[in-house]
Amino acid sequence: MAKIIVVTSGKGGVGKTTSAAAIATGLALRGNKTVVIDFDVGLRNLDLVMGCERRVVYDLINVIQGEAGLNQALIRDKRTENLHILPASQTRDKAALTPEGVEKALETLSQEYDFIVCDSPAGIEHGAQLAMYFADEAIVVTNPEVSSVRDSDRILGLLASKTRRAERSEPPVQEHLLITRYDPNRVTSGDMLTLEDVREILAINLVGLIPESEAVLRASNQGVPVVHDMDSDAGKAYADTVSRLLGEEVPLRFYGYQKKGLLSRMFGGGRR
Amino acid sequence: MSLNMDRVASAFTFKGGMLPMTVMELTSADPEQIRAQLAGKVSQSPAFFQHTPVVLSVEQLDEPHLALERICAVCRAHKLLPVAVRGGTDPVKQSAWALGLGWFPPQEARPRAVEEAPLAAAEPQPDEAEASSTPAVGRIYRGTVRSGQQVTAPEGDLVVVGAVNPGAEVLAAGSVHVYGPLRGRALGGIHGNRQAGIFCKELHAELLSLAGNYKRLEDIDPRLLSQPVQVQLRDDQLNISSLG
Repeated sequence: MAKIIVVTSGKGGVGKTTSAAAIATGLALRGNKTVVIDFDVGLRNLDLVMGCERRVVYDLINVIQGEAGLNQALIRDKRTENLHILPASQTRDKAALTPEGVEKALETLSQEYDFIVCDSPAGIEHGAQLAMYFADEAIVVTNPEVSSVRDSDRILGLLASKTRRAERSEPPVQEHLLITRYDPNRVTSGDMLTLEDVREILAINLVGLIPESEAVLRASNQGVPVVHDMDSDAGKAYADTVSRLLGEEVPLRFYGYQKKGLLSRMFGGGRR
Repeated sequence: MSLNMDRVASAFTFKGGMLPMTVMELTSADPEQIRAQLAGKVSQSPAFFQHTPVVLSVEQLDEPHLALERICAVCRAHKLLPVAVRGGTDPVKQSAWALGLGWFPPQEARPRAVEEAPLAAAEPQPDEAEASSTPAVGRIYRGTVRSGQQVTAPEGDLVVVGAVNPGAEVLAAGSVHVYGPLRGRALGGIHGNRQAGIFCKELHAELLSLAGNYKRLEDIDPRLLSQPVQVQLRDDQLNISSLG
């Protein structure tokens, strides 16, 4: 049976899709059979970030409506073994997602995969609720700023009440906090909430801290999940996150103030 | 989530629910005696008597026949809505049904008497009397109350062992106690109990309200923020004082 992990946040633009792509890839690189599903029907992005947009034929909605089989819709990742992508439909909207259809698809995938990563749409409506409904674990992606923290808090409330586990009174969805776009220098200058601020309000286990990095934007535009870029801070931080998800103890990196050297200041070298 | 929310076909769904309900434990079957006591109560806390649904419990009565219709009329005259009867003999059950009321079997374990004594000692001090007429049953909530969540104690006090986050709301008929940071909205005395208070370990509240009088975060003296405080109603004004 696969473990179903939803990547969610409430707020848009915090890095859900980037994180889902990176974490799914990381899990597959560690030898786990992994499938990543885009639930953002109508605003499909995951295929771009995974670099498989030219190979999409069928999608999740086709599968749910019985127009295509799962194996026809699943796209094998070219770079990583053990990794498949199930894209969303761009021409439909979230009303096309039915609970029964999603449940059936997840059940079938569960037989074959170790991990199912669900990339949730933003918001707290139908699409987002369905993405989280069947989850065993949740990764709540949060930026160190007040509106993102409040929305994440709201999502945590929903995870505790509007999931299958909650409704069946099973052990609750395991919640993980993933802080993204963390810029230690701006935290020090007071522009951003500190790691401690965010943790204090959300009060859940921290699974990763991803520093603000140029590598993330580059990776998204090139369609190569950032974990492949192991020279970058962000790539390393996502790899650490995957290790923690798998139960390993890894010390936290990249949260200290980075003093820029003279040369990098002169040439405006950004953090990789 | 009601997963079928987008379907239209069905007109309703049955759902199990636990609703807070006031139980009126009768110790006398005499409608006149009930009327006298109710009249006294209404003058003490009028806010409680707003078509409040009540379950008439007759478990402590030994009388096989009750003047149920008259008791109901007395209740309705005092703005209490009897919705069901609990306990009693078969004739009582039959007459409850005849009156359109539900009937519940008697409870094995007796609920705690909501009031200790039938307020015979109606002290001339109205404030004291009102405080003691507050039902003693409260609610304890453990964990973080998150944005968008609402935790209510419809009777008695609410105790939160944990944080109340921004965008969350905690409400109580009595006082609100937060053993943690209070960052959301806290409303005490929601049925008009002016004796209710709000207590918290760390004040960052978006809104504080007691018996309908409120203060926004903006109105709170910044020196009190992050402090352990108590909030009381004094002359229709919220009075916040440090507990530290």
